[in-house]
Amino acid sequence: MIETELHDLSDDADYAASQQQGSQSITRSDSGRRSEPEGAEVVYMKDNVSIHPTQYMSERISGRLKLIKQGDSLFLTWIPYKGQNTNTRLSERGDSDRNNLYTIRPLPLTDVRSIRRHTPPLGWQYIIVVLASGLAFPPLYFYNGGVKEFLTTIKQHVSLVRSADDANVFIVNDFQDPLQKTLSSLELPGVVSVAAQSTNASLVASSSQVNQGRSDVSSYDSNTGSQSLRRQKNKSNDPTKDLSIQVLEKFSLVTKFARETTSQLFGENSGDPFLSNEWKRPSHSQSLPDLQSQPSTNDLEEVPCEVPVPADPMEFEKLALVWGKPRQPPMTKEEWITFLDSEGRVVDSNDLRKRIFYGGVVHELRKEVWPFLLGCYDYNSTYAEREYLRSVRKQDYEIIKLQWQSISPEQAKRFTKFRERKGLIEKDVVRTDRAFSFYDGDDNPNVNVLHDILLTYSFYNFDLGYCQGMSDFLSPLLFVMEDEFEAFWCFAALLERVGPNFNRDQSGMHAQLFALSKLVELSDSPLHNYFKQQDCLNYFFCFRWILIQFKREMRYEETMRLWEVLWTHYPSEHLHLYVCVAILKRYRNKIIGEQMDFDTLLKFINELSGQIDLDSIVRDAEALCICAGETGEACIPPGTPPSLPIENGLVSSQLEDEVL
Amino acid sequence: MPSRRRTLLKVIILGDSGVGKTSLMNQYVNKKFSNQYKATIGADFLTKEVQFDDRLFTLQIWDTAGQERFQSLGVAFYRGADCCVLVYDVNSMKSFDNLNNWREEFLIQASPSDPDNFPFVVIGNKIDVDGGNSRVVPEKKARAWCASKGNIPYFETSAKEGLNVEEAFQCIAKNALKSGEEEEIYLPDTIDVGNGNQQRSTGCEC
Repeated sequence: MIETELHDLSDDADYAASQQQGSQSITRSDSGRRSEPEGAEVVYMKDNVSIHPTQYMSERISGRLKLIKQGDSLFLTWIPYKGQNTNTRLSERGDSDRNNLYTIRPLPLTDVRSIRRHTPPLGWQYIIVVLASGLAFPPLYFYNGGVKEFLTTIKQHVSLVRSADDANVFIVNDFQDPLQKTLSSLELPGVVSVAAQSTNASLVASSSQVNQGRSDVSSYDSNTGSQSLRRQKNKSNDPTKDLSIQVLEKFSLVTKFARETTSQLFGENSGDPFLSNEWKRPSHSQSLPDLQSQPSTNDLEEVPCEVPVPADPMEFEKLALVWGKPRQPPMTKEEWITFLDSEGRVVDSNDLRKRIFYGGVVHELRKEVWPFLLGCYDYNSTYAEREYLRSVRKQDYEIIKLQWQSISPEQAKRFTKFRERKGLIEKDVVRTDRAFSFYDGDDNPNVNVLHDILLTYSFYNFDLGYCQGMSDFLSPLLFVMEDEFEAFWCFAALLERVGPNFNRDQSGMHAQLFALSKLVELSDSPLHNYFKQQDCLNYFFCFRWILIQFKREMRYEETMRLWEVLWTHYPSEHLHLYVCVAILKRYRNKIIGEQMDFDTLLKFINELSGQIDLDSIVRDAEALCICAGETGEACIPPGTPPSLPIENGLVSSQLEDEVL
Repeated sequence: MPSRRRTLLKVIILGDSGVGKTSLMNQYVNKKFSNQYKATIGADFLTKEVQFDDRLFTLQIWDTAGQERFQSLGVAFYRGADCCVLVYDVNSMKSFDNLNNWREEFLIQASPSDPDNFPFVVIGNKIDVDGGNSRVVPEKKARAWCASKGNIPYFETSAKEGLNVEEAFQCIAKNALKSGEEEEIYLPDTIDVGNGNQQRSTGCEC
């Protein structure tokens, strides 16, 4: 294997720093010494092994890779150089924090599953270390060469066999357990590996979908090779440190794809501020044609042809390839029954939510399942308990409803707030989904039921009252639940979570828009910078998306599907924010390329209504969510809707609202 | 504004929920009326080309959510407005009484450079309802209020019937155009000025 050194690094600040540091560390104690086990012998050391935390090739953390032998054990460490002055653009976060995040502290090779070697014809060689847990470290680029030597050294100390499937994969520890061995050969998509709760049984149970994924995955794998696709042993409590590393590693892969994509799309446009010279380097381009011909890319081609706006397909095709767990058909009645015990308890609510997340439920089941998802019924409740609860709730509803029904015209005359609230509701119910058959036509009784439920709710939660958008939330609930009182309690349960969207001070909306801006910053910093430059960081152009959770952006049936998927809170309570990010990312090149200002962007976003392909966007959102992991969740302030309020301080803030 | 001829006129429509803001906009731009407009969430706008004195302008008409709770969004939506249209429903006294709030809220959030002379236009909509029998706001009362606020032009319309809508928007467009003209006087004409250096130093309009 020839170690290519095509690039002169002498003018590279990072390189210079590392050289300096490297020479110093020969005489002084090196930065990694403290974390080395006692009595250890360094059997391999390589300087200038680097990772790229973002898509900017210029942003690089360089460090020293070592193999350390202690007794019979071999350990791997990678310690970034200290005080390295990188050209980082993420100025908010200190370099040292970032470097700590990536540091590989002594890692026993027994914890390593495999090492994948990448030897692109142009550019630097790199390796990806995959742990037995399925997690992986970011790609380590060998700027001074030494991959072969590294592997040879490992082989001298531990068992290292070349994978029969892929000559560039070196398996460090073979599995003893035949079942695990079988599973490992399936190469489950990364999604599965992160969904660490999955049991072996559920993996086997979902083998059809695994196989379905396999064709995508394995062919993809052989082209560009992603460790994230390697299967994992089921380890339910991986340290968060590892998870965050995996997250960032995935980012580095995604952004690498983005870089390649962008450089192709904007190849001629040297004036583009987001294109550094490095982006144009066709370092991995040889794998692109294969990728584009992947069968799974059909997903995106299936987006209805009426979409007049070219999406940003390549990046997402690849994203989907990396994580895209295929969507499933909706859960059927037969499947649903298997989740219940003889008395009607949901045996494993996590499994149930997971199942619904990946496919929703058939429409006939919604009436039964939605109350669970919304929190109206406890998963542990029995048929009998629920039946009792229903009868209580029916009465409770009637009592609350009577509160406004008993207001006489004479009293109403002296009750301005009531008249105004009622007037607002009357105005809105007659313009809520009237094109949908359940609500269409003159004197449709369902429109009156909408009215009654909303007015009753405004008495049940007098502080919040009525706000535009609530009728959008209620409409599908009534359509599904049919019964007025059941629709009411589902609505009340839903508003426990999304009610803050309607706070008079708009605090709930601002919290979500803020979180959205942080998530975009995390997952697509050029797009974030573009919004910043255009003074669009308030994200008001996504206001409608968030206020009523895409109700106006999709067809009725799709809205119901999306909502039940979101209500599972399966990968995150805030998946709807990742849905926003996914849509924005899909059109990022258009947004940036056409230099959309705030007005144009708002118009563009509003006009995407009816053109969003639900399944592919949810897939993208899931991928982004998993990819962002805890770093992403950290972007979302505690208590951000639809999280339940943190404490009851909420009541006082609502009381200050001018009650309508 | 920048050193180019203004061709975009931004108009904001404000008023209580359900007074007919979306309908007015659609009637003017698309010559259509529908009973099925949904309550506006956030904001949206439509554009229409208009011509004055052989010059072509794009009228950008912003439709906003009517509920008070959403007013805080105004900061983003109102900026750069050239004219503000205040709409009320002649059959709802409350919607008329609120015009003052809407006007003040607009001036706070858009903070135009010369609030005393910022052009507003008032529209009393839905004059068709019930043959005018359910009307509760007399025209006189509305005109008196407009006069007291610096002679705001006033129109009575029916977005449903398309009554007086064109006339109202003609006036809105003219006022929008006028509001920018003072600034424009201080702007060099990019066509006539050959020296690029001079263009650069014209930040002096106040």
